[in-house]
Amino acid sequence: MIPQSHFLVLGAALFAIGLYGALTRRTAIGILMSIELILNAANINLITFNKFLGGPDGLGQVFALFVMAIAAASAVIGLVLVIAVYRNMKTIFTENMNIMKW
Amino acid sequence: MNGLIRQLSDIVNNYGLPQDFVVQASFYVLAGLACVFAFGVVAMRNIFHCAVSLALCLFCIAGVYLFLNAEFLAVVQVIIYVGAIVTLFLFAIMLTANIKDRSIRQANSQALISAVVTAAILSFFIYIIMGNPWKIPASGAAAPAGPGLNDIGRALMSSYALPFEFISLILLAALVGAIVIGKVKK
Repeated sequence: MIPQSHFLVLGAALFAIGLYGALTRRTAIGILMSIELILNAANINLITFNKFLGGPDGLGQVFALFVMAIAAASAVIGLVLVIAVYRNMKTIFTENMNIMKW
Repeated sequence: MNGLIRQLSDIVNNYGLPQDFVVQASFYVLAGLACVFAFGVVAMRNIFHCAVSLALCLFCIAGVYLFLNAEFLAVVQVIIYVGAIVTLFLFAIMLTANIKDRSIRQANSQALISAVVTAAILSFFIYIIMGNPWKIPASGAAAPAGPGLNDIGRALMSSYALPFEFISLILLAALVGAIVIGKVKK
């Protein structure tokens, strides 16, 4: 029987790695991939608490499904934005995307 | 312990290995691989390799879901994440980045301070998690079976019908928005 805390530590480790990537990546696509890691860490926590605390009808798993749908939508929008920016500015680096800064 | 893992460990049991050991060892191997591949996502120089590493990491996380009585979510994870989202990332990388160029720096100048802050946050989390007395299920008692596919489907259509409809709206908005933003203006 694997204890609950080990699953939570796995989720925390994935969250920390994703946070590091989101803070340090120079390319927007790299930042989006790190955000996917963070969402997966949240999913692991949701499913872990669903298993160990027990919900009446699997609330944790249902919300993990919702998180996956949100992640898919955000990935689509983010990647389309990256492609639109690349088409207009010919760059993939976030420090060059500063036309909205004054 | 759910059906798939149970069957797997029964097969292993026939070869004389202790069942608990095999289940636990496979969990820790999967968790370690997930962390290693996740580190590859944030640390590798070639962004194409990062996307492939992300696919492997998500696959390992799907394996971890099997240990949490979530077989349906494991399958959904493989289909949606590995099948759709990572493919989308690969296409976006091939449409934008120059993947052959390994000389470009991938991390910005705040890498060191970010690493320190992230390590501090992680150690704080581990301190909290390890210090908290989680409810331990009584040993010997049968572990409660997780929600099956029936329960999830029924919950989506009854108790959580409103969030479900919101998710459909969000997906529709994302679809329309992606077409509008990605359209080449004449």
